[in-house]
Amino acid sequence: MKKNIFEDFDGYNDILEEIEHSRKYGINYSAERHSPAQFINRLHPPVLSLIVSDIIEETSSTKTLRLIPDDGYLPPFLAGQYVALTLEIGGIRTSRPYSISSPPNQTGFYDITVRRVDGGLVSNYLLDEVKKGDHLQSSGPAGHFYYNPLFHDKSMVCIAGGSGITPFMSMVNEIADCGIDRTVFLLYGNKNSGDVIFHEKFQAISDRFENIHYIPVIEEPPDDYDGSRGLITGDLIKEKIGNVDDKTFYLCGPQGMYDFCIPELVKLGIPDKKIREEVYGAPANICDYAGWPEDIKAETVFKVSVNGGRTLDARAGEPLITALEKKGVIVPSLCRSGECSMCRIRIISGKVFQPKGVPVRKSDRQFGYVHSCVSYPLDDLAIAL
Amino acid sequence: MEEYDAIVIGAGNGGITASAAMAQKGLNVLLLERHNIPGGCATSFCRGRFEFEVALHQLSGMGTVEKPGPLRMMLASLGVLDDLEFVEMSELYSIMMPDGFKLSLKPDKEEVIKELQDRFPHEKQAIEKFFDLSYKYANDMLSTFIFKDPAPSREKYPTMYEYAFKPASEVLDSLISDPLLKAVLSVYWGYVGLPPNRLAFPYLAMIFFTYIEFKPFHIKGGSQALSNVIINKFISHGGTVRFNCGAKEIKIENGKVKGVVTDDGEFIPARFVVSNASQVSTYVQLIDPQHVPGQVSREMRGRSLSSSAFSMFVGFDCEPDELGITEPTTFLLDNIDFGDRVINQMKKLDIDDQLLVLSCYDVSDPEFSPPGTCQANIVTLKYGEPWLSIPPAQYNKTKFRCAEAMLRRVEAIYPGVRGHIEEIEVATPLTHMRYLGHPNGSIYGFEQYTKDSMFFQPGRYSPIEGLYFASGWAGDCGFHPTLQAGLSAAKSIVRKLETE
Ligand SMILES: Cc1cc2nc3c(=O)[nH]c(=O)nc-3n(C[C@H](O)[C@H](O)[C@H](O)COP(=O)(O)OP(=O)(O)OC[C@H]3O[C@@H](n4cnc5c(N)ncnc54)[C@H](O)[C@@H]3O)c2cc1C
Ligand SMILES: Cc1cc2nc3c(=O)[nH]c(=O)nc-3n(C[C@H](O)[C@H](O)[C@H](O)COP(=O)(O)OP(=O)(O)OC[C@H]3O[C@@H](n4cnc5c(N)ncnc54)[C@H](O)[C@@H]3O)c2cc1C
Ligand code: FES
Repeated sequence: MKKNIFEDFDGYNDILEEIEHSRKYGINYSAERHSPAQFINRLHPPVLSLIVSDIIEETSSTKTLRLIPDDGYLPPFLAGQYVALTLEIGGIRTSRPYSISSPPNQTGFYDITVRRVDGGLVSNYLLDEVKKGDHLQSSGPAGHFYYNPLFHDKSMVCIAGGSGITPFMSMVNEIADCGIDRTVFLLYGNKNSGDVIFHEKFQAISDRFENIHYIPVIEEPPDDYDGSRGLITGDLIKEKIGNVDDKTFYLCGPQGMYDFCIPELVKLGIPDKKIREEVYGAPANICDYAGWPEDIKAETVFKVSVNGGRTLDARAGEPLITALEKKGVIVPSLCRSGECSMCRIRIISGKVFQPKGVPVRKSDRQFGYVHSCVSYPLDDLAIAL
Repeated sequence: MEEYDAIVIGAGNGGITASAAMAQKGLNVLLLERHNIPGGCATSFCRGRFEFEVALHQLSGMGTVEKPGPLRMMLASLGVLDDLEFVEMSELYSIMMPDGFKLSLKPDKEEVIKELQDRFPHEKQAIEKFFDLSYKYANDMLSTFIFKDPAPSREKYPTMYEYAFKPASEVLDSLISDPLLKAVLSVYWGYVGLPPNRLAFPYLAMIFFTYIEFKPFHIKGGSQALSNVIINKFISHGGTVRFNCGAKEIKIENGKVKGVVTDDGEFIPARFVVSNASQVSTYVQLIDPQHVPGQVSREMRGRSLSSSAFSMFVGFDCEPDELGITEPTTFLLDNIDFGDRVINQMKKLDIDDQLLVLSCYDVSDPEFSPPGTCQANIVTLKYGEPWLSIPPAQYNKTKFRCAEAMLRRVEAIYPGVRGHIEEIEVATPLTHMRYLGHPNGSIYGFEQYTKDSMFFQPGRYSPIEGLYFASGWAGDCGFHPTLQAGLSAAKSIVRKLETE
C-alpha cells in the first residue's frame, strides 16, 4: 500500500504513540447508552404522568387540581411557568397550557387552577369529569413569564384579571414561604366579588408580610363594598404603588385587560421593556382583528390537504391546529398562543390569517412556516406537517 | 410503502446538506429530525421582539463574488446561493480588556500586520514571521490536499512537513516574547475549543488564512435562513422531512444497514444511513451493541468529548453604539494566560476571568434586530460534566448565578448595558445537550487534538456497510466544515451507487 504523505511529517510517530496510549486509558462510552436522556428528562421531561390527588373548590366556577407525579418525580420550575395538559376528550386529542399555581418550593405536587370557560372543551372537562385518582398527562414546565434576576426590578407590580391570577399565586407564595427579598403589589381585577380566586389566601399573606400588597379591584361591586372599584387604571396603580420607576410590571389576564391596562401603564411613563406580559391563548374573535378580510365569515369552511394525502374541512374562525386535531391529525403544541413555535407547520399553498405580532422567525415567514395555533384559513390550503 | 434509498438522521448542517445533495442526484431520501425545526446549532429562536441567533458568529470560507471561497462554491453547487443574502463583516475581530486595552483587526493581511506592528512595535519582525508562516502553511496544505499535488515532498512543502503536528503555543513562543501579543493572536482558539498549548498550530494558521482571504460573513435572517433554504431545496428535489421524529435505532444485519426505527416504533428500510448525530450516540444508543465492531469502540475510547458552551442571548432597547459596541465580533479578555488554567476554568461551573466572545450582528447588518434595538450573543466555553451533577432543583439558580457573572464581565467593558436589557435568555451545556442530543452537550464534537485530525481518524466512514457520518463529530467543526461533511457523505453514497 502506498504510504500516506503525512507519515513523513515531523512528529508523526509521537502522535501514533499518543493514539495508542489514549485508546488504552481512554473513555468507555457504553455508559452513554441512556444517560443523556436521563439528565435532560430531570429538567425537561417530554411528558409527565400525573395523578389528581385532590380537587379544591375555589369559587363556583373555579377548581384547583392537585397533581402528583405517577413515578414520584416532578421537575423544577420557575414561579410563573405553565404545563400543557394533553387530553383526549370525546375522541379529540388536544392540549392546553395551565400556569402552575403552587409555588416551586412545594416539590411534592403541582397545583393547576382552572376556571370554567363557557363552551370550552378542556376547562369543562377538567371541572366536570375529572375525579380524584384520575391520571393526566402534561408537558414539562415551560414559558417565559417569571421574575428574571438578571434585569427585573426587585419590586414587582403584578396585574391580574380573572384566572390570570394563577402564576401570581405561585410567585407570591414562593416569596412568602422562602422569605425572598422582593416586594409585590398585586392588583387583581374581577367583575364581581364572587369571581375572586384565592381572596382569603392573598389577604392572609398580605396581612402577615409587609412586602406583599394585595389590592383586589372589583368592576361591579355591591354598594357597600369598600375596596377599589372599576377597572385597574393608571391613577389607581399610581396611588397604590407610589414611585413607578423602580418597578417591573407583570400582566396576566384576558386580552381586554391588556388592551386597557397597557396604555394606562404607558401613560404613566413606564417603558415597554418593564412591562412583561404572559401570553394568554389564541384570540377569541379573530374576525374582529385588524386586517381580517371582510368577505370571510368565521363560519366559512375551507379544504385543507395534509402532507399531500387526506383532505379535511377547517373553519375560518378556528385556529388551524384545532381543525386538525378534530380530524385526528396531531400537531405538537405547548403555549397555544403563538409564542413557543411547537406547532410550526408549512403552508404549501393557500393563505392563512396570522394576528400581528406573532413571533415567527424571519426565514420561517419567507418559506411559509406558520404557528398553527394562531393561524386561520382564508383559503383552501395544502399544508405539510 | 414508500422506498427510500437513504435515511438521514438529524437536520443539523451535515444532515441537511447530505440530504439535499443526495436528493439533487435523484436519490429518494428521508430526513428525520427530533425537533420541529431544521438546523441543530444553526437555528434561531424568538423572545419578545427579538429573534436570537443561536450559533453563527462568523461564517468562514465564503469569499466574495469576485473571489469566491469554497463555501460559496459549495452553496452554488447545491443551488441555494441565490436564495440567501450574505453580509460581509468589516472586522476580523476586536479585543477589549477591562483596563481599557482595545484593538481591532480588519480582515486584510497587510492591515492586520500593520495594526499589530503599530501596537506592538517591539515585535515587528515576529508579527511578520507569524503571518508568513501561517500563510506558507495554508498554501502548502492547499497545494497538497485541495489541489492534490501528485508528488508532494518535504522539499516542496517544508512548512507543512515541519509544522503540521506542532502545538500553536510552541510556534507562538518560538517567535514572540510579549505575552499580550501571544494572547491577541490566539483568541480564535475559542472557535475550536482547545487553548493554544493543546491546539495544533495548523488550526490557528488555517483560521487566520480563511477568515482573512475569504472574509468573515453573516447571513441575513441568521443561520436559520441557511437551514431553511437548504431544506427547501431538499424538498423541491422530492425529499421527505419528518420533524418531531427522532431515530431510535439503526437496524443492522450481517454488518449491513437495513433501515431505521423511528421514535414511534416504525421501521423504515433503507440501504444507506447518514448520521448527523454524534458517533457516540450513533454507536452507543442507536445500534445494538452486538453489531458494533470492536474496532469502533477501540477507536472511540481514544477520543474525548469537546466542551459545551454557556451562552447569553440579550436583546437591547437601543442601537449598538449607544452601548459602546462598535465591532461585530469582540473577544472580552481578562486574563492573558491561555495555558492549562483555561482548561481548568472550562471544567468549573462558574465564570470568572475566562475568554468571552460577544457578537453583535446589528453592527454589520442594521436590519438584523427591529429598528432601534440590537442583540448580543455572548459565549464562553464550558465542559458539560459539572452541569450534569447539579441537582435539578439547583439548575435555575446556578444558571442565573453564572449568567450574572457573565453580565458583570460585559458591564465592565460596556458600562450601563444592564439598563438597556429588554430580553435575555441563557443557554447552558444542558441546553445544548437537550437541543443537539450530543453527550455532555459537546458543541465541537470530539476534542480536536492533533491525534484527532483527519489524518488519523475514520471521518465519515464506518465499518458497518451503508453507514456514513456527516457532522462535526466526523471531522472539523464549524459551519463550513460541517456543511461540507454532508456533501462528502452524499458523494460517497452516490459514488458507491454509480460503481455498482
Ligand atoms: C442549540 C440551541 C437551540 C435553541 N433553539 C431554541 C428554539 O428553537 N426555541 C427557543 O425558544 N429557544 C431556543 N434556544 C434558546 C435557548 O434554549 C435558551 O437559551 C434556553 O431557553 C435556556 O434553556 P434551558 O435548557 O436552560 O432551559 P431552561 O433554562 O431550563 O428553560 C428556559 C425556557 O426556555 C425554553 N427553551 C430553551 N431552549 C428552547 C428552544 N430551543 N426552543 C424553545 N424553547 C426553548 C425552555 O423550554 C424553558 O421554558 C436554543 C438554544 C440552543 C443552544
Ligand atoms: C454557541 C455556538 C457558537 C458557534 N459559533 C460558530 C461560528 O461562529 N462559526 C462557525 O463556523 N461555527 C460555529 N459553531 C459551530 C457550528 O455551529 C457547528 O459545528 C455545526 O453547526 C454543527 O453541525 P452538525 O452537522 O454537526 O450538526 P448539529 O448542529 O450538531 O445537529 C445535530 C442534529 O441531529 C439531531 N439528532 C441527533 N440525534 C438524533 C436522533 N436520534 N434522531 C433524529 N435527530 C437527531 C439533533 O436534533 C440536531 O438537529 C458554533 C456552535 C455553537 C453551539
Ligand atoms: S403551541 Fe406554542 S406557538 Fe403554537
